[in-house]
Amino acid sequence: MPPLKLAVVGGGPSAFYVASRLLSLLPHHQPRGADLKIHIYDRLWAPHGLVRYGVAPDHPEVKNVTHKFDQAAADDRFRFFGNVQVGPQSSHIIPHALSLPLDALSQHYTHILFATGCTIPTLHDVLPPSDRIQSALSLVHWYTQHPSHSNPPPLDTISHVTLIGQGNVSLDVARMLLSGSSALEQYDVPEVVLDVMRRSSVRHVSIVGRRGPHQAAFTTKELREMMNLKDASLLPIDPAVLEPPPDAKLSRQQSRILQLLQKGSVNAPRSTPKSWSLDFFRSPAAFSQLPSGKLRISLAHTALDLHERAISTGETSALETDLVVTALGHHADPAQAFYDPALRHLRTLSGRIINPLGRAVKNVYASGWAAMGARGVLASTLLDAYAVADTIIADHFPGATGATTSIAPTAPPAVSEERLTAENVVLNSIPAAVEQGLEDGRVVGYEQWKAVDAEEVKRGAEKGKERERMGWEEARTFLARPV
Amino acid sequence: MSRPRLAVHALARCRPSLRVAGLPRAPHGAPRRALHATVVRQHGSITRPEPGTGIKLNFRDAKGDVLKVVEANEGDDILSIAHEHDIDLEGACEGSVACSTCHVILSPQHYDLIPEPEDDENDMLDMAFGLTDTSRLGCQVKLTRTLDGMDVQLPSATRNMFVDGKKPTHH
Repeated sequence: MPPLKLAVVGGGPSAFYVASRLLSLLPHHQPRGADLKIHIYDRLWAPHGLVRYGVAPDHPEVKNVTHKFDQAAADDRFRFFGNVQVGPQSSHIIPHALSLPLDALSQHYTHILFATGCTIPTLHDVLPPSDRIQSALSLVHWYTQHPSHSNPPPLDTISHVTLIGQGNVSLDVARMLLSGSSALEQYDVPEVVLDVMRRSSVRHVSIVGRRGPHQAAFTTKELREMMNLKDASLLPIDPAVLEPPPDAKLSRQQSRILQLLQKGSVNAPRSTPKSWSLDFFRSPAAFSQLPSGKLRISLAHTALDLHERAISTGETSALETDLVVTALGHHADPAQAFYDPALRHLRTLSGRIINPLGRAVKNVYASGWAAMGARGVLASTLLDAYAVADTIIADHFPGATGATTSIAPTAPPAVSEERLTAENVVLNSIPAAVEQGLEDGRVVGYEQWKAVDAEEVKRGAEKGKERERMGWEEARTFLARPV
Repeated sequence: MSRPRLAVHALARCRPSLRVAGLPRAPHGAPRRALHATVVRQHGSITRPEPGTGIKLNFRDAKGDVLKVVEANEGDDILSIAHEHDIDLEGACEGSVACSTCHVILSPQHYDLIPEPEDDENDMLDMAFGLTDTSRLGCQVKLTRTLDGMDVQLPSATRNMFVDGKKPTHH
């Protein structure tokens, strides 16, 4: 059997689910599994991508997925290399990561999988980032202490926050701002973050969307959590907005969301110290900064056209706020190889990377948000990852029956002559720079991560919380300690 | 069987704390405490009944073909039973009702015998692929004697879920 030596660029859930599937479908003791190697490279020192640096702290149960990732990592055909940035990126937001050109990596592997996700926040045309206008991602990076070192938001000097966008990231940020530090202390929220939250003077969060409740991207669970907030209440929504159009055929999720909205929050409006509002059919058209430092946002009122696009009705209203947070989704890094500017992610067909001429690049794949765009919950990432693993197996062992998902891999498209990966490889080789990085303690292996993980949990337990996170410098010092 | 599974199996044997079969359901609306209550649904998390004495379940694939007929005990949940018998049913959040990966479709006559799903389960079912009128999360269905002979079908997943290169417009 020809070896299958796969480099995975990116170490989030999609990467680990592909790895896990390949390792279990190609068991060690079978000929097809004997020459399998999977090496995951992540630009961050810690693995698991958005599970560590994205999932809201008050959703600890979501993090149970890492047990399966640990199982995959326990296979001796698997290795993890943290702190390695492979290929170009548009901004070097991880200063301490080792930078490795793609060809320095690819010469060691027969296969490459891009599981690089969508790392760039989509901005709003009229709301450029400033000290008063931030992306939700920078807030998430702050409360998860992501290695990009986002500045803390000035929560102690503001009372009104406006979120632009009505997806789950938006509701996560709203929930974090409205929950209060005491509700979050038990979770994986770093002390430096809790310190800022304890001083928060935020009293109201407006959540603005240019379309209506049936188009909102948030899911029922996240909306219900908002409705159940202990110290906050939802301001009444214009009942006309909550009337379904007469000919509308609502999905189960849409109907249940509508019911929740009609019922409103558990706390009666204005009965609580904090409040929130859902401002449907409003689209920021301009803003100005007032002498007080507040922002005045001019909101265009919108309605839906036949294609459910938001179009301006010509009316406007003004909203004064202290901080604008844009939560408008994410896209892949345009500096990456195989990025398609029209799609805003990598160009793929059934998980295979497609070059600009429409041909598949042999043995090069993409999965997760890098391939699909930034949408879908973990379950869709899992199913996509399994399907990509099946495609890799079907391409590598033609004619063999191996696919176990009900998603049959499609026939391979025309394959390009270009070759990014190597034909002949040494099974255990890794790039010299990575080898050196491991020796220097700059590149982190999975066992080292598990040591940090255990220490973080231990430090958390001492404070009665889920975990106390380390930053890179702390982790590096911890790992360099004499054992 | 793959090696990693064996490794965890061994771990589960030597660490009883990893063998918790299920978290207690949190009361409605209360946050679910799942911080360190590691729920690993692997072999050994439930015990198999003496053959011929248990509650029979017919696991079926997405096409309706029988994968396995298994027996289990009263109180066992479908996700744990599936893992005990190597049925390919995911349980990404390990029974904490934070995902929909253990979605199963039950035979209608048995579905009606099970207490209705709570809000949190329904919220997750909202996002399940291939949802039907008799869909449940496997982790939330505990067996009773009346469910003997129940069909448990895995939902179908299709490539259509992942539209390569197309993005719905949001304008």
